[in-house]
Amino acid sequence: MAERQSPTPGEITIMVAGGVMLIFSFLHFAGDRNAWQSGLFPIATLLPLYGLIMALEIALTKFGSVKLPESVLGFTWNQIHLALGAMAALMALGWLITDYGDKQIGMWFEILGGIALAVGAVLLQRERNTGAIG
Amino acid sequence: MDKLKLSTANLIIIVGGVVMLIASFLAFNKFSRASFDVAGVHVGGTVSYSAWSSHYFLIATIPALLGIVMAAQVAIDGFASGVKLPERVLGLTWNQIHLVLAFQATIMMLAFLIQDTSPLDKGLGLFLMLLAAIALLVGAILRIQEKPSGTI
Repeated sequence: MAERQSPTPGEITIMVAGGVMLIFSFLHFAGDRNAWQSGLFPIATLLPLYGLIMALEIALTKFGSVKLPESVLGFTWNQIHLALGAMAALMALGWLITDYGDKQIGMWFEILGGIALAVGAVLLQRERNTGAIG
Repeated sequence: MDKLKLSTANLIIIVGGVVMLIASFLAFNKFSRASFDVAGVHVGGTVSYSAWSSHYFLIATIPALLGIVMAAQVAIDGFASGVKLPERVLGLTWNQIHLVLAFQATIMMLAFLIQDTSPLDKGLGLFLMLLAAIALLVGAILRIQEKPSGTI
């Protein structure tokens, strides 16, 4: 039986960020509403969804022995992680700056998670020597 | 002179980016109350908020900024012969970057369209920004079909 490789720091960062973002998306985001409730859905739900996609891809291929297509619309999975991570960080910055009333714990963890996804995606490029960064 | 000739895809992206920028200053959400005069004083009417208003900046401004970046890249590439942009950024070709930015702008505008904003109504700016985002996505896809670089 082939030995399963342990996850790299980049992969761990993305999986933890994705999991944390999903859990905290059900806690108060702004006022007394979470990211899935009327008034915030689906604009505030995009961040945890991006995290979920990134975390699932790594979890499925690393631990689930699932074989996903090598590229989607001409993007490799490494490129998809980079693009989703960058857009997640942009939305995190957007929510950080936007004066949307009371920022609650759910929003703070979505912001931190979005930044963590971008960091994880950058680490992933380095670990897998994609040549995209450094 | 050939430099001044834009492809259909690039033209759509430039127009989409300009419409997106203009629309971002129009009413994103608005609040209408019955309007009437009381003792010569006008009461009520419509209050509107653009994508740059404090309650919406930066989250609703992101699609406009993405459109500006796309249009600016096309304009620089097409008209500024002295400026040479790198062929790839973070390992992505410009075709791929256009697709990512346009997809993000469209998905965000669709999210704003679906979002329940009551008691506020959705304004013309929001609808125009959505149309511009879709145009940007169409432009990005056409660009790839015109100059394929392994995407789609």
